[in-house]
Amino acid sequence: MIKVERRPVSDPGIDENAKKLTPEQIEGVIRHVLEKESAGRLRTFVETCIHCGLCSDACHYYLAYKRDPSYSPVAKVRLTLWDMIRRKYRVDAESIKMYARISYAECNICKRCSMYCPFGIDIAYLMTVVRRICGLLGVVPQYLQDQGNSHMYTYSQSWVPQDDWVDTALWLEDELRMDIRNGRIPFDKEGAEVMYSPHSLEAKFKTNLLTNIAKIMNVAGVDWTMPSFDGWDSTNQAMHVGDYETMGMVERMHFEAAMRLKVKKIITSE
Amino acid sequence: MLTDDWDWDIQDRVITDIDEWKRRYPIVQECSVSDDGERIAAIVETAPQKATVCINGNPWETEYEKIWSLKFSPDSRAVCSVLRNYEWTLAVDNVLWTEPYDFVWNITISPDGKNMAATVKKENAHTVAQNGRTWGISFPEARDLAMSPDGKRVATRVKTKRLASLDIFGFAENILTVAADEKAWDRNFLSIWGIAFSFDSSRVAAGVRLDKTVFTIAVDGNTWDATFAGIWEPLFHPRTHDVAAPVKTPRGWTLAMNGKTVWERCFTQVWHQRYSTDGEKITAVIAPGFGKWTVAVDGSPWTRTFSDAVLYPAFSPDHQRVAALVKEKNRWTVAVDGTPWPVDFDMIWEAVFSPDSSHIAVKAERNGLYMIVLDGKPDTHAYEALWNPIFSPDGEKLLIRCIENGKYCRKVVKVNDIA
Repeated sequence: MIKVERRPVSDPGIDENAKKLTPEQIEGVIRHVLEKESAGRLRTFVETCIHCGLCSDACHYYLAYKRDPSYSPVAKVRLTLWDMIRRKYRVDAESIKMYARISYAECNICKRCSMYCPFGIDIAYLMTVVRRICGLLGVVPQYLQDQGNSHMYTYSQSWVPQDDWVDTALWLEDELRMDIRNGRIPFDKEGAEVMYSPHSLEAKFKTNLLTNIAKIMNVAGVDWTMPSFDGWDSTNQAMHVGDYETMGMVERMHFEAAMRLKVKKIITSE
Repeated sequence: MLTDDWDWDIQDRVITDIDEWKRRYPIVQECSVSDDGERIAAIVETAPQKATVCINGNPWETEYEKIWSLKFSPDSRAVCSVLRNYEWTLAVDNVLWTEPYDFVWNITISPDGKNMAATVKKENAHTVAQNGRTWGISFPEARDLAMSPDGKRVATRVKTKRLASLDIFGFAENILTVAADEKAWDRNFLSIWGIAFSFDSSRVAAGVRLDKTVFTIAVDGNTWDATFAGIWEPLFHPRTHDVAAPVKTPRGWTLAMNGKTVWERCFTQVWHQRYSTDGEKITAVIAPGFGKWTVAVDGSPWTRTFSDAVLYPAFSPDHQRVAALVKEKNRWTVAVDGTPWPVDFDMIWEAVFSPDSSHIAVKAERNGLYMIVLDGKPDTHAYEALWNPIFSPDGEKLLIRCIENGKYCRKVVKVNDIA
């Protein structure tokens, strides 16, 4: 038995939304995700794992928490997915809160553990299945859910209004020209070689990063552009929420922006 | 928009020397060309915070602090957002809308060029301005703008309530809807996108999300009875009020009309549906499997699939042929009725049918130069810049708008002389 000790942390997105759950809702969502959305791949992974623990040393959470076995990737799967399966999907809201904490806050889907697994089990994928369940139940950390909500309306993660995006880049162009004579941040240049797709924060809190990219593009002589319309943000927090419906829409917007601008490459930032 | 009296007998005409513009101004931004090919314009900057629009070599008399989103209306007027004295407004051939705004974007113009609208920011709120008149209602936020075919109505996606930072519970109460004609729909949704007007401009539809996995279409705020696990943008029938949209069912994606699936087959993906002009047929981009893209007409897919992308299928005017842009192994070409042209390009633009449906012309790029491709045959002439070709009404000639040797020209060439 794995001993699980965690310092209590409150998060309204998890605590308040978990209060609204019903047993029928929980069972229905788990059944839908495990039997309709994830069946074949999930079963293979779950049945192949021999609990050897070789994945443990790959996990920075496990290492950071002094090799606490409850932070090892295999333990995270055991405490979430296997728990649901073992209990025939009949789990309570407190369990959902624990699944949410583990899948959102104790794994960042880096996939390093999959490299360590002798069977190549995609453990990170299993954590995304847990996130999907929590996401459909609405039990998601507040900050992450807010970013997912932003994607639903703006297709960017930081609630950037369409006018702010363009206006910001226009004044950044002024700043750019303090360093580079006649520098440009060209919007909607159809047929450019490259569409630069910034992180949402470059349009809001860390605009100096966008200026830096503009400097590189100008000095390197890259034929580049950015869309003035939605689809410019390279991030997709809906994926992390487990909101695959919004995730798909955001990705589609992103690629269709590139195709609308007739660019040949997308360069994204991080 | 070419007028009926546009002279198709004038052949080559050099309109202006773009290289001379570049010698004259420190910054010449990207060029826009009018549909009739007679005007070319660019935002030019003479000094910091001094920008104007140069048309056919002649700058506007006024200089602005900033200009952006320059385009030509279908009736060949230059339209853009301009900033003067820290206030934005719309300029049409250098005539300004009278009202100033904090920002102007989503400039939208009716097919006849007579009506213009834009989303605008004023007093920390968003609204819409139509032909220079601002709506009497505003919203915490507005995104995108759709205009009715007659140009008299516009609609935008709005947020009806201003939320505090991180207010996920307020968002869950549904704060998003469509605003049209200075009025928001009575009903809000979790999410909303893809605004479309009916052919007669009387109805507005959009895709809406009712819950995490419940999607449908709303027409004038009223939802279909049926719901689906996913839905893409709606499209009105060109002659009725029927609405078609790709929907996700337990069997996969298919096409639905007014809430009922109309294609027997389901696919891995369906989107970008488009009707023939008589409304008798409908085509869409579909994926019969992962990494396989093609076109379906009335639910029947082409046999040939393409690995990278398929874009914008379009019917010929006689509704008998369908052309789409296809990409395979990072090379673009046109596929007509399922058969790709035997040539490929670095990039390709929208396929244009001749009025009699017998020819297809496109703009294509290869090795940094642009050319007209007619029925799969690249023209031997390549240009530094090129805009989409336009067929003459009899289909025998093409208007080519191009830059060669640094000069913008409009040319009329006989279709038979190409390639």
